[in-house]
Amino acid sequence: MAECLLCHRSMSHQLTLTQLLLPVPIEKRCCCERCWQQFEAIHSDKACSVCGRQLTTRTICQDCQKWQKQATMEFKNRACFVYNEAMQAFMQQYKFAGDYRLAAVFEPFFRQQVNRQKADIVVPIPVSEETMQTRGFNQVMGLLPNVVYQSPLAIKSNWHKVRQSSKNRHDRLQSPQPFIISRPELIAGKSVLIVDDVYTTGRTIRHAAKLIQDAGARQVNGLTLAR
Amino acid sequence: MDVSEFFGRQLLSSELPVGWKERVSKLQVQPGIEVMATTVRCNRCGVTTTKQRCTLPNNQFYCPSCIQLGRVSTLNSLVSLPEPNRFERINQKDVLTWKGTLSKTQDKCATDILTVFQERRQHLLWAVTGAGKTEMLFRGIAWALSQGLRVGLASPRIDVCNELFPRLVQAFKRTDIQLLHGRSDIPYRYCQFTICTTHQLLRFKVAFDVLIIDEVDAFPFAQDDGLWFAAQQAKKADGALLFLTATPGKKLFQMIQRKELSISYLPLRYHGHLLPTITCRLASKWQLKLEKGRLPRSLIVQMQQRLKHNIRFLLFVPHVAQLPAVQTSLQHTFPNEQIVTVHAGDPDRLEKVQLMRSEEINFLVTTTILERGVTFPGIDVFVLGADDAVFSSAALVQIAGRAGRNVARPTGDVIFWCQSFAPNVLEAIKQIKYVNRKGRVLQQVRAEDNG
Repeated sequence: MAECLLCHRSMSHQLTLTQLLLPVPIEKRCCCERCWQQFEAIHSDKACSVCGRQLTTRTICQDCQKWQKQATMEFKNRACFVYNEAMQAFMQQYKFAGDYRLAAVFEPFFRQQVNRQKADIVVPIPVSEETMQTRGFNQVMGLLPNVVYQSPLAIKSNWHKVRQSSKNRHDRLQSPQPFIISRPELIAGKSVLIVDDVYTTGRTIRHAAKLIQDAGARQVNGLTLAR
Repeated sequence: MDVSEFFGRQLLSSELPVGWKERVSKLQVQPGIEVMATTVRCNRCGVTTTKQRCTLPNNQFYCPSCIQLGRVSTLNSLVSLPEPNRFERINQKDVLTWKGTLSKTQDKCATDILTVFQERRQHLLWAVTGAGKTEMLFRGIAWALSQGLRVGLASPRIDVCNELFPRLVQAFKRTDIQLLHGRSDIPYRYCQFTICTTHQLLRFKVAFDVLIIDEVDAFPFAQDDGLWFAAQQAKKADGALLFLTATPGKKLFQMIQRKELSISYLPLRYHGHLLPTITCRLASKWQLKLEKGRLPRSLIVQMQQRLKHNIRFLLFVPHVAQLPAVQTSLQHTFPNEQIVTVHAGDPDRLEKVQLMRSEEINFLVTTTILERGVTFPGIDVFVLGADDAVFSSAALVQIAGRAGRNVARPTGDVIFWCQSFAPNVLEAIKQIKYVNRKGRVLQQVRAEDNG
């Protein structure tokens, strides 16, 4: 019997009659129903139309109103899940403890979301060389094993890393541009989807969006797993 | 950071402070993961994983089994420093500050343990629940400490560690003792005597001259091969390893058969009586009936009798989800009783157990969390749905062992309600019969000695 990747309890999979009788594909689940219920999906008609945060109606949240005052850039983000306790615990285990196989929990769902955006190219937010050495993987690319993506962005070589998650909101909003465009030819005239794991203040993904837009992209949108 | 913090430890290279690798000359470095054709093997927990389950990008691998204690991967390595036993010697007479006495049978076991430690063997002490295991360890531990040996006492359960710690501090007042587990904030320091959870053993290597593992049969130690491996790694190659349990499992019996382990029994409880035996009652489809708000008639009758004679009891049910239904049903049947239920995730867990301890309530409805480590004197024990898979045979023996822990009422009733005589129930009954047979022989020998 399979074991839930998150709570390690054994799970039994009950097939429906259709699945038993007809040659329909059977989706392999990696986490049990109970764990899956802990994650709160965001519906786009009940979310901020700019950053994708969960709201009661489709309006623009206060954070995004502030963003719109200071920048003229057109940028829309869609977030899949609320960054609740379960999602925080997941990120802790996946990203910080480094349990790479946990990516399988969200992979099918996330792939669907990426494909639905119908962008010309998909650009995951890169991680620094240092992180790659210790963590061994890029947490965003881990979520996209079956998606074709490009890497026109790179982290500045003199960028010394202070973890975004260890800063407070004010410091995060002040952080300077960490990225450079290493391959501008990939972006020019295309519609680009930037993918990240968590949208917190929006600083990181907006830095990336700014660069990509300046490099001549036709359209820039964002997709994050959590907000 | 002091170099002594690394004595006998096994840490990840990424945990070392910068420059330490060069500074400490005796540091032993080994790769964290051994890569084979289709599998990888972790050098910290010894678990083999198929590559499919543990591949990182760029052909790197990690170990998902022991990831809780920091990830071992091909990107980092394991570093350890040999244990130099740098402890202050204490005079043998002054080590043990415990002034209690042992019964004759306990005394024999204590001497057995001492010889095991002196001869540095692997040994299993099968002592029934409520035999007074901790006190029997004191003589052996005192010897080891006076010889300047490093001693470790590990248990799979944090609760057990927390309970043992103050008792051992009292018994060895002159020794430096550390309590180590994942939920405590106290940082590690180098001590002669360490009390820790079995998971923490993964972070030791060739450290202990004497290693004691309490409640070997408890989750997760019994089920986790990685922790067995850790226990072997944490002790010195010629170190003594003592397993303590009331309910040895298959693995231990196999080791005994292969002569890797010697065994001694203590089949009598500290008050010299046998274990209470299990009575089984059939309760067909009780789960369906519970959904309709009914409990087995015979259970209600038994409960009524206990309440009439002022005998307190515990009622075990298999799942947390069944607690509310049992509670409403009981509230309906016993309107004058305060019905309290408790489970592992209950925020008021400790308060509720305290209510039962202070005799403010007559009974407590609980899940397996109260299976071990708690004593309510003179209670009876009922288990509803004992054949459920959540109760291992070890758990059932432990549950049965909650009864009859009082000199004034050394026997108690243990009644199981089940739908079928499942293997776990039969195994539990068999184990209790087996120790009681041994116990009876011992009782006879004692009677002859006295007569």
